[in-house]
Amino acid sequence: FSRRRERAARGLGAGGAMEFRLEAHRIVSISLGKIYSARGQRGGLKLHKNLLVSLVLRSARRVYLGEPGGECALPPRPGPPPPPDCERLRRGCRPLASEAAARGRPECPAESPRKRSAAERDPAAGYPGKKPRRETEQPPPQEDMETGNVASLISIFGSGFSGLLGKERGAAEATEPGQVCCEQPVLRSLNPWSTAIVAF
Amino acid sequence: QTKTGVLKISHDIFLWSDIISTVEFNHTGELLATGDKGGRVVIFQREPESKNEPYNQGEYNVYSTFQSHEPEFDYLKSLEIEEKINKIKWLPQQNAAHSLLSTNDKTIKLWKVTERDKRPEGYNLKDEEGKLKDLSTVTSLQVPVLKPMDLMVEVTPRRIFANGHTYHVNSISVNSDCETYMSADDLRINLWHLAITDRSFNIVDIKPANMEDLTEVITASEFHPHHCNLFVYSSSKGSLRLCDMRASALCDKHSKLFEEPEDPSNRSFFSEIISSVSDVKFSHSGRYMLTRDYLTVKVWDLNMETKPIETYQVHDYLRSKLCSLYENDCIFDKFECAWNGSDSVIMTGAYNNFFRMFDRNTKRDVTLEASRESSKPRAILKPRRVCVGGKRRKDDISVDSLDFTKKILHTAWHPTENIIAIAATNNLYIFQDKVNSEMH
Repeated sequence: FSRRRERAARGLGAGGAMEFRLEAHRIVSISLGKIYSARGQRGGLKLHKNLLVSLVLRSARRVYLGEPGGECALPPRPGPPPPPDCERLRRGCRPLASEAAARGRPECPAESPRKRSAAERDPAAGYPGKKPRRETEQPPPQEDMETGNVASLISIFGSGFSGLLGKERGAAEATEPGQVCCEQPVLRSLNPWSTAIVAF
Repeated sequence: QTKTGVLKISHDIFLWSDIISTVEFNHTGELLATGDKGGRVVIFQREPESKNEPYNQGEYNVYSTFQSHEPEFDYLKSLEIEEKINKIKWLPQQNAAHSLLSTNDKTIKLWKVTERDKRPEGYNLKDEEGKLKDLSTVTSLQVPVLKPMDLMVEVTPRRIFANGHTYHVNSISVNSDCETYMSADDLRINLWHLAITDRSFNIVDIKPANMEDLTEVITASEFHPHHCNLFVYSSSKGSLRLCDMRASALCDKHSKLFEEPEDPSNRSFFSEIISSVSDVKFSHSGRYMLTRDYLTVKVWDLNMETKPIETYQVHDYLRSKLCSLYENDCIFDKFECAWNGSDSVIMTGAYNNFFRMFDRNTKRDVTLEASRESSKPRAILKPRRVCVGGKRRKDDISVDSLDFTKKILHTAWHPTENIIAIAATNNLYIFQDKVNSEMH
């Protein structure tokens, strides 16, 4: 095990912010590799594991891009800036200083979107008694696992990562960190990135 | 990974399909069932103690082996469904037969295990091989009699509970009412009646309207041992939800939420992964719950939701190695945990074929190893120690020499006696405690 790498991952590296970003970059590469290789897995996509990988990917990406809230993935360092509202960020709400706030959209739902209650789901049922699901009505096997949508970050990078590779070769100097957009290269350094993709 | 794939670990070579994926004692401890990745179930039976052979007393021998699940292919979704047995749960015995539930990712099956040690002989119309007799040779009537025969154990599938789950089933639990059971997948929990296979009731559903908003999945669930209306389920965020089926039909709203706030000084990229609960077990008393996450086991009191009453470090020396463990996928390993019969000792597995026991009263703990070398019959297990720098004793193992391919994920404790079953990859170890094992 590389002690230096591990310490960097914990935010204890001597190089400080630079080591964080290098480590974050590495973790992003590893995570994308895992998501990509999970597609051919026997038994179907493992929702739990892929969710965890996508959460790690999201944290590492925030740190790498220096997005507000990236610090939430790391242990608090002594010194000034007051920590961002980590709890709201963990709930999936965007930090206030984002484009969404500028557009005036509500930042965070009162509670996370949930499946509606039994009554709402089927008003015709009368009252929310236990609703048996028979094979003949709403056959479960036809329900799609919808795992293609789970790792929301996959959509950012484009299917098959070909969009990312194509953009990289002609990459101009990256724009300010914090801007996440399909059209622009997300990560600046080329080699480790394309290596990770090519390997899979 | 194919069904007949060969996996090489250290110097052992064995079939992927032989890897044990679950271990479970029945309610008396007389039977022990194991399931493997090849979809097979092996049942062991404890030999009755006999005065003639005191050294053989209480040993477990193979009682029956059967193929529970086969690989399936879902053509509609172009998905292969693994035959791996995820969980086995025994039903309380209600007659001479034994029954168990076994499940893979999608389908739960109820199996009936019966013994046959007598055979009727002396039919009037059939001969010994079952062929019809020539009637002219039948001159008198006889009553068939039961004659003893060599013991035959028959296992038959009695119910198949299919098409209940879109996502992968991670746990099943039989209710104390002995009539119903529940099965949980990543997003939903269904309640079944043991006699009815064509429908199930959905009692928990955490699937968000938009899957992109998914932040949490169900990782394990269990019915309360005494209160048939209560059950608990754990989540990938490290929380436990106790639900009361009397309160409402759809138990999306929990009765109690057990959650411990995160320690900010331990935060890392991997905090979320290591807080995911891999197993939850009620104590035999029903008063406590035991949970396992990647680095700790915790005891929760049902009366206190804000934090666990006890936390035990299983292998805290791994905390500084999480990045590497993420890279080699070990961080996703799902370890189980177990109570002893009196709820005074808890047990869980670790790496290098180590398993750990914690005595809740004396607060002492021990690390033991399941290996061929240390497990000659009637040998006494020697406590092991992982050294994390500092003074190193003889026989200590350093963290960097731990074998992470040798993991003990599945362990079980006899319901009343100090007998434990440890699954180490493809090997099953059964340890019995004749004297109190030393704890340090």
